[in-house]
Amino acid sequence: MDVDREDVSRRLHVKFVTKLDSPFKVPVNSVAIPSNVTRLGLSSIVNSIIESDNPEWKTEPFDFLIDGELIRMSLEEFLLAKGISAERTLEIEYIRAVTPRKEEEPSLHDDWVSAVNGSSPRFILTGCYDSLGRVWRLAGSCSHILEGHSGAISSVALVNSNDAETVTVATASKDRTLRLFKFDPAESVDSTTKVRAYKILRGHKASVQSVSAQKSGNMICSSSWDCTINLWNTNESTLEGESVSVKKRKGNNQAEESQSEGEAVTSLVGHTQCVSSVVWPEHDVIYSSSWDHSVRRWDVETGKDSLNLFCGKALNTVDVGGEGSALIAAGGSDPILRVWDPRKPGTSAPVFQFSSHSSWISACKWHKSSWFHLLSASYDGKIMLWDLRTAWPLSVIDTHNDKVLSADWWKGESVVSGGADSNLRISSGIAIS
Amino acid sequence: MIQTKRKRVPVRSLKEEEDDLLLLDSNDYDGDSLSGSLHSDIFDPEDDGSSEDGERESSEDEVDGLEGSDDNDDGDESELVDGSDQGSEQQDEESDSSEDEVAPRNTVGDIPLDWYKDEKHIGYDITGKMITKKEKPDKLESFLATSDDYKNLYKIYDEYNDEKVELTKKEIMFIHRMLKGKAPHADFDPHAPYVDWFICDDARHPLSSAPEPKRRFLPSKSEAKMVAKLVRAIRKGLIKFDKPEEELNLYLLWAGDSTSDQKSKQLTYIPPPKRKLPGHEESYNPCLEFIPTEEEKASYKLMPEEDQPKLIPQRFTTLRSIPAYVNALKESFDRCLDLYLCPRVRKKRINIDPESLKPKLPSRNDLRPYPDSCYLEYKGHTGKVTTISTDYYGQWIASGSTDGSVRIWEVETGRCLKIWQFDEAIKCVAWNPLSGLSILAVAMGRDLVILNTELDTDEEQEYIKELLHLGNVIEPNASVAAIARWLPDEKYGGIMIRHFKNVSSIDWHRKGDYLSTVMASGETRGVVIHQISKKLTQKPFKIRGLPVTAVFHPSRSYLFIATRKNVRVYNLLKVDEPVKKLETGMREISSLAIHPGGDNLIVGSKEGKMCWFDMDLSSKPYKTLKNHPKDITNVEFHRSYPLFASSSEDSTAYVFHGKVYNDLNENPLIVPLEILRSHSTSSNGGGVLDCKFHPRQPWLFTAGADSNIKLYCH
Repeated sequence: MDVDREDVSRRLHVKFVTKLDSPFKVPVNSVAIPSNVTRLGLSSIVNSIIESDNPEWKTEPFDFLIDGELIRMSLEEFLLAKGISAERTLEIEYIRAVTPRKEEEPSLHDDWVSAVNGSSPRFILTGCYDSLGRVWRLAGSCSHILEGHSGAISSVALVNSNDAETVTVATASKDRTLRLFKFDPAESVDSTTKVRAYKILRGHKASVQSVSAQKSGNMICSSSWDCTINLWNTNESTLEGESVSVKKRKGNNQAEESQSEGEAVTSLVGHTQCVSSVVWPEHDVIYSSSWDHSVRRWDVETGKDSLNLFCGKALNTVDVGGEGSALIAAGGSDPILRVWDPRKPGTSAPVFQFSSHSSWISACKWHKSSWFHLLSASYDGKIMLWDLRTAWPLSVIDTHNDKVLSADWWKGESVVSGGADSNLRISSGIAIS
Repeated sequence: MIQTKRKRVPVRSLKEEEDDLLLLDSNDYDGDSLSGSLHSDIFDPEDDGSSEDGERESSEDEVDGLEGSDDNDDGDESELVDGSDQGSEQQDEESDSSEDEVAPRNTVGDIPLDWYKDEKHIGYDITGKMITKKEKPDKLESFLATSDDYKNLYKIYDEYNDEKVELTKKEIMFIHRMLKGKAPHADFDPHAPYVDWFICDDARHPLSSAPEPKRRFLPSKSEAKMVAKLVRAIRKGLIKFDKPEEELNLYLLWAGDSTSDQKSKQLTYIPPPKRKLPGHEESYNPCLEFIPTEEEKASYKLMPEEDQPKLIPQRFTTLRSIPAYVNALKESFDRCLDLYLCPRVRKKRINIDPESLKPKLPSRNDLRPYPDSCYLEYKGHTGKVTTISTDYYGQWIASGSTDGSVRIWEVETGRCLKIWQFDEAIKCVAWNPLSGLSILAVAMGRDLVILNTELDTDEEQEYIKELLHLGNVIEPNASVAAIARWLPDEKYGGIMIRHFKNVSSIDWHRKGDYLSTVMASGETRGVVIHQISKKLTQKPFKIRGLPVTAVFHPSRSYLFIATRKNVRVYNLLKVDEPVKKLETGMREISSLAIHPGGDNLIVGSKEGKMCWFDMDLSSKPYKTLKNHPKDITNVEFHRSYPLFASSSEDSTAYVFHGKVYNDLNENPLIVPLEILRSHSTSSNGGGVLDCKFHPRQPWLFTAGADSNIKLYCH
């Protein structure tokens, strides 16, 4: 054990506490440890304490917090930097380290994987440059193929997951359309089922870049290179105008009978360049990021933007989450992931900036349940997990051989990602309490 | 009466003066006694006692004798000098009657005494014997003697006769009077009344009976003139009364020639470079440690020529044994050659701090955003990427390569979307500038192909298909038909326009209907304009010189045509003569770009120079930038940001800030921002062959000879 060897250095009296459940708990006794131990040393100390009680214990990496800040240097330096007295007994909270413990088999696609969605715990949705959407139940087992698009799929979104039997999925494509698919994820077939869209949404004049669904599942919004954000209804009911267009399509024999077409309910205009990403976190609030260097918050009722954050860089991705689901994270044409807090008065400067990537950021996603954790994917082929409490990445997932184009959380403990190496990769076993 | 001998010694001269005085008052008794005492033998304390008595006696005799012959008043000295020979004395007395001359007792003759200054003797007597000097008393002894006897103070040393003379009271008095500047003799009256013996008037027999001349009573005019002249000179300052301070005639002995200012002011003077001072090793007899051993000498020979030491120290025991310099003749010949060929023009060297000449430029950080770092690469071409072009929104980028392929890439991800393969190397691609008209003009060899990229909406697609359908072509007149023929493109379903010469550059008009084509070897028929909607070719201009590139004005109906040396501006509505001619002063223009405002343009040349023209200012370049060591391949303005860029075959692209002010009084501001050099500098003529700005972002695309396209972001 490290403690026995480190007699020369100063000793600190610490107490390890945790919110974790029983197998991870240690007796609440004060122990003396050398002051120059790092995170690894602390982790081995905790592991050995647990092991002394529980001989079947498997070594587990931990992360340590003092007063809500993660320790990323030696304990001595940390105390010095934070101005904490080393005289009294320190209380160190430990959590399980946020790092993937298991790497699943990659699921090979026919082309670049441009979109990944892990909203549903039952399956993973992917979009691919071969213009097909796919549903993966597990790593390597594709259950459904969503076909119909004529261009590369740029984004996929889960529209309605409340319905246990059929699930509605929206795909956005570079062929300027969005398609809505319905399938039953529960049906157990060995071979993959091909699904055709039940509704085609036309109206964008250029490539659709992103799609996001309202919580209720009644509406989706999409953003496009034509600088607009369009809102669409997802229901199957055919209005008169739509049926006319269906007839027209029928005449051309290009669409199946079952497919209906939809037109945009409304259009949010204001961005001056390609709208690269949209999220619809609340009932009537849409966030969008654009290549015109801005992040905007739209009020769906009025169709006006209520917040406009200027960033200075072309933005590729935006997500809202964190504390009170209010923090805005965005990444774009530079290696910096920025986090804004719009609740702060007079903010235009980001409250957090994470800059460990070395190329464009293609995706960023907040963890659904944790206030602190988010992930970012970059063209440098890395996915990084971040905690707002430290400026260093918690973990770097470097499994892709090429650009990572999309990434998402799955089931709260996995990261799914797709990239230019045509693989869907799943890194699981991430412990976020 | 007295012809004094040349003055020899102070004593002697004293005596003569005294004699002069005696002249005045011949009856003075004291004078005689003085002269007698002068010649009396002076007591010499150093004389040994034996001779002392005898001498004293003789001196007394002499004094007596002197006194005895006092009445004669002459011849006394000679008698004294040589008392032994009485007969000769008598002769002397008779021979010079009035002689006061005293024959020296010292018989060395009339010679300067300093001849024997350092000798022990003072000279030789008649018989050839040395006359020895008396030993001089040293200071201490003379001091003691003075303190013993105050009379010693009045003794003077007669150098010539080598003896001491005691001054009498009278003589001392004379000396005192003379020191005061008075006549030596107390009785002499210097102010005796003047007796005018020659009064001319009232004389019975005047010396001259001439009337008194005027000059006696009129002031002299010539003197007045001279005085006036002097006064004038004094007033002018030509005559100065106080002497000017003499400057110290000091100079630096070891100062080199180069430091003298007077020489450097001359026109022909060129200071030679300072040479290093020789060290110990260059001595003819250096210490042993400077002399290389045989091994070291052998090692020198193995060294390359330029590393070998110029001088190998050698040791000679004497200066004599140093041989003649081996290269003396050769070097002097070389020096002559140098002088013969040396430049006769003096180069003016200006002593100005080069930093101060730099213009004050704003900081680069204030001029953000501009492209500085490469994040994305577009890989796939197998040959050099020669040309790139972006679409209206900046979502796609088209590229052409020497491998014959035209590709369309997605800017955002770097994905290659479409490939068209042709047989020839692609020379130029140009995307139509309209938003809903995604057609691509591709030039290769003699052909210009209009491709449908199929990236637009369905309605627009139909319009494009109609546009690119080559229905009934209007029959062109013969001259135009010889230049270009419109053909359908079987392979990709577009239009092919076949020219009579190789196409070198194309440019779309801003309205997307007209397309200018330049054929570098087409000479006067080198520039034609195609109209896509009417499938029509026009040849509006007669070009002088070889055209290089042609660019439409961004807002008005002008066409800029660059020939090899000049840029001409033509009005498209009135095409007879160029509206303007811009003289670049460059050897060969390679590219041309026009500021979106339309009044400024930049021209890149094959010698690596870039000129900025402000057309409101003049037809000469406003600024010439010489940055690239190799050919500039393309220059480019950003459509909305104040940026411009140049790409070159030296594998770099330069990004500049080029701000054009609305205020006509303010000249454009040009600031170099960034050198982008991530393209590989491969041996086979690498380089950046094209650069284009993103139409909406401050990003730059560069196409490299390393078959990559790179995107530089801000």
